[in-house]
Amino acid sequence: MRYTSFTPFDLVLLAQGFGVTVALFVVTTLIGLLVGAALAVVRYYRVPVATQAILFLTELLKNSPVLVQLFLVFFGLPAFFHINVTPVVAATITLSANTAAFIYVIAVAGIESIDRDQVEAARVFGLTRRQVLRRVIAPQALAFAIGPLTALLVNQLQVTSLISVIGVVDLTKIGNILNLRTLQPFIVWTVIGLVYYVAAKLVAWLGSRLETRLRAYSAWKGL
Amino acid sequence: MRGPQSETGFNDWTECISVRFDLSFIAPEIGFLLQGAQLTIEVCFLALIGSLIMGSLVAIARTSAARPLRVIAYAYVDLFRNIPFIVQLFFFYYGLPVIGIYLDAFPTGVVALSIAGGAFASDVIRSGILAIDPGIIEAAEVSGLSKRVIFTRIVLPIALRTSIRPLGSVFINLILTSSILSTITLNELTGSARIVVSDTFRPFEVYVVLLLVYAALTYLISILIGVLHYRLNRNLGARVT
Repeated sequence: MRYTSFTPFDLVLLAQGFGVTVALFVVTTLIGLLVGAALAVVRYYRVPVATQAILFLTELLKNSPVLVQLFLVFFGLPAFFHINVTPVVAATITLSANTAAFIYVIAVAGIESIDRDQVEAARVFGLTRRQVLRRVIAPQALAFAIGPLTALLVNQLQVTSLISVIGVVDLTKIGNILNLRTLQPFIVWTVIGLVYYVAAKLVAWLGSRLETRLRAYSAWKGL
Repeated sequence: MRGPQSETGFNDWTECISVRFDLSFIAPEIGFLLQGAQLTIEVCFLALIGSLIMGSLVAIARTSAARPLRVIAYAYVDLFRNIPFIVQLFFFYYGLPVIGIYLDAFPTGVVALSIAGGAFASDVIRSGILAIDPGIIEAAEVSGLSKRVIFTRIVLPIALRTSIRPLGSVFINLILTSSILSTITLNELTGSARIVVSDTFRPFEVYVVLLLVYAALTYLISILIGVLHYRLNRNLGARVT
């Protein structure tokens, strides 16, 4: 057997790379959700200065290539602040920040999608601003935001492939390694692409299921 | 210009920034970075044309009456939207030579960007086509125009100009995506910044500047698209805002 041919162990490599991709995707999505929602809450309370700073930062993150953000965190931070940044840490920071910037926009749109009448009615009933956010706005905003959120997550799953450039051994990096060894680019990249495709479809499917679940409560059930 | 790092002795990182964030070292490299920027603009411009052509063709196929055409077009859009661009790029860059097509990084990048951008553009153009008042198309059919003329002279111009704003965000995405071409040895803006970093050992400053340049570039283009949208659609009045 030539060393260039595919072996069963390549499947283990593939699974490993996929595991790294999924793990980073899930972790950065969760951090991004928390941070993005927190930023939207800061905006809801109209905190001066912070709101403008958040707007500037999120716009910067949305309007620049993720690759450059990755390089800034991975090469720039260690050189400037004399700290150690491993590829996985750099990838986690960058992807979380990037996801948070997009989720902030979705969360703000979700909060603003609630009618002012509802907020005013709730205030008249004596709910505090905090209670309004928790009891009235959050559940409805979540149902509103789940559609755009799914589209965003499908996109962010693909963005994770960029972390291979700074040396995280994710699915794309495994593809690179297999490609260099077997010199069969068509087979290798087709398989890698299909794995990503299936994963993206899975995310979209989960999103649409969650959407129907969340919307079930607000759907008109008749008298 | 830059002292040995052990002698800086800063305790507080804010102090580091105020003293050490110095951009003067970039001045001699600006010419080189501009060359990279020019390459980025060339690639993006060609890819814009490519993805508009691809997008229009696929959008027509997706709205056509023939089912096989619709299925193929949908499969294309679905595949290229759900596979990471870097994987598509490697597929073309490493795959094409195997079947005997030898392309440089530049044409490969343009082709890959056009195909990926075309998938996104086709969705936009398709919704532009679907938004056209059926009465317009019926009127054209009644006037005895051929299918081809109706598409190229009536449907496509209307669809393209009403969807100029979403097409603009596709273009902005194209510019941001073009940074990935630096991974296949094309020294566009990001690629040349990487070279500057390895020459000057100042990654933080260079990448901060690069981030701001990309943001400024895309901001400028979004303004231009707003103007273009207004100019192209002013005779439509309040219907398109």
